[in-house]
Amino acid sequence: MTETGPIGLVAPPISRRPPFALLRAVVRYRLARVGLGIIAALCFLAIFAPVLAPHSPYHQDLHGALAAPSRVHWLGTDNLGRDLFSRLLYGARVSLFVGIVSAAVSAALGVVTGLFAGFKGGAIDAIIMRVTDAFLCFPPLIFILAMSAALGPGLHNVILSFALFGWTGFARITRGQVLMVRELPFIEAARSVGVPPRRIMMRHILPNIMAPVLVAITITIGTAILVESGVSFLGLGAQPPTASWGKELRVGFAYLETTPLFSIAPGVMISLAIVSFNFVGDGLRDALDPRLRGLG
Amino acid sequence: MGKYIGIRLAHSLVILAIVIVLVFIIARLIPGDGIMAAMAGSVDLHDAQVVERVRHQFGLDQPIPLQFAVWIGQFVRGEWGTSIGTGENVLDMFRSRLPITLELFFGATLWSLAIGIPVGIIGALKRNSAVDVCLTAGTIVGVSIPVFWEAILLIYVLSVVLPIFPPSGYVPFSENPLLNLKAMVLPSFVLGTHSGGLLARYVRSSLLEVLGQDYIRTARAKGLSEPAVVARHAMKPGMIPVVTVIGLSWGGMLAGAFFVEAIFAIPGLGRMGVEAIFQKDFPVVQATLIVVSVNVLLVNLLVDVLYGYLDPRIRVRP
Repeated sequence: MTETGPIGLVAPPISRRPPFALLRAVVRYRLARVGLGIIAALCFLAIFAPVLAPHSPYHQDLHGALAAPSRVHWLGTDNLGRDLFSRLLYGARVSLFVGIVSAAVSAALGVVTGLFAGFKGGAIDAIIMRVTDAFLCFPPLIFILAMSAALGPGLHNVILSFALFGWTGFARITRGQVLMVRELPFIEAARSVGVPPRRIMMRHILPNIMAPVLVAITITIGTAILVESGVSFLGLGAQPPTASWGKELRVGFAYLETTPLFSIAPGVMISLAIVSFNFVGDGLRDALDPRLRGLG
Repeated sequence: MGKYIGIRLAHSLVILAIVIVLVFIIARLIPGDGIMAAMAGSVDLHDAQVVERVRHQFGLDQPIPLQFAVWIGQFVRGEWGTSIGTGENVLDMFRSRLPITLELFFGATLWSLAIGIPVGIIGALKRNSAVDVCLTAGTIVGVSIPVFWEAILLIYVLSVVLPIFPPSGYVPFSENPLLNLKAMVLPSFVLGTHSGGLLARYVRSSLLEVLGQDYIRTARAKGLSEPAVVARHAMKPGMIPVVTVIGLSWGGMLAGAFFVEAIFAIPGLGRMGVEAIFQKDFPVVQATLIVVSVNVLLVNLLVDVLYGYLDPRIRVRP
């Protein structure tokens, strides 16, 4: 903070901000720093799981089932004798993949709808907003659970169900931002020199509303990881032999008294992942909100 | 005020209509007719005549818009159909399970108030201190960790390692009040921590905002002690979000109840919902979705009206 003061780093909502400045602004928040660290570590584990895992996550050894932690199996084994540590590493792939893809699809659908609603206004806007209002009446988990039950088991259906619900939040945020930005002088200027509406939307409005969308994406990744593990915990979502943390937790629960690590360890991973995305999302929000600058 | 309530009400009715259509669509999404899927075990699906009879019995051979109209009409009259899984009347199923879930929610709300208000106040008064950072981290963790894992952890610590509470099961209050309360401690705590964390964060930021107001400076300037300033002047306006968070958290609690009731084997609405979803028992799924969303809709309406009453500025621009 020696060369650039906080004001220079976290500019008001209407301005383009180089991504690195944003990252630097976020890093000033202690909890966000912790979150970024955990996310980086999880990504590392997920990417290099095949190299890091001491065993195959699918190799069964029924004689060595439910073993306690040892030098061979660092966290012990599951009910089919598979190495728990290796399965947790591979589980990071599932969770991060589902989390990121769900959030990305939701954001893409929602931002386009929101842009459209905010820019067009009128009846289209009113209809889209009432539909998002209706979606907000369902608790996300219940809606997504019902949807994935209707669509059938499998991770792709979890992602699909999530996106069918998740777009609403992004649409609302985007629309609100568009309503603010479209009245600004530079949009009027663009319009007066004859820039076509589509180009105004994509080139002039979209870049200026990305900040809150970014916050929402971060938090949505955490939510999607939670939803995936929840749906898999209840038995939909990931199917055997996929190493999903939620699934692992579910199976491990049955053996809680004898091998507590079997259910506790996957829970630690799920919680770490969700908490870290929430920490970063929180830091981002504070960094982007000029009103909170003084309060911290 | 009357006009404001009228507009809000009309608004809610439009949303309700969309909600109902959405629920109908979800129920019809179940591949190959929900009923056929659910009946696969009990009737011979290869016999075309049997299939036709069952489809006719449930009205599935009618055009979709007609099915929709018939369904709405029955729902409004309280004919929620019979469960495919248990054969029970769906409305009766709700009636018998509702009190159990309400008890759970009541306990959870107590927990969340007991956690959220003190934590929020301390965070606001000691803002940016080490205590505040720890509490903020704690609330984010409380909001983030999945209910099902929290439940399992607590069962492990307080039922397996230290056998204080029963790991699962439900005893009706009328049968044994003490055992009933004992069995409810862990489930309601697990449900309550989530909204408690949320509440703490809202109380903290709302109190911080109030503490920055001019009249608080006036109160300090006239020589009031800090506890008096907080207790007499800041607390009341700072507590407005409590109403909102508690109201709105009930929808989230029902989602939590899906897991908590399944894990602790409590025969409430949540467990009924999970079972119905898995058995593709779509009369029950439909009814659950509608009850949940109408509940959220009503709470939202209530909060809106309450805010309009508390803050006249909101009434002007609904």
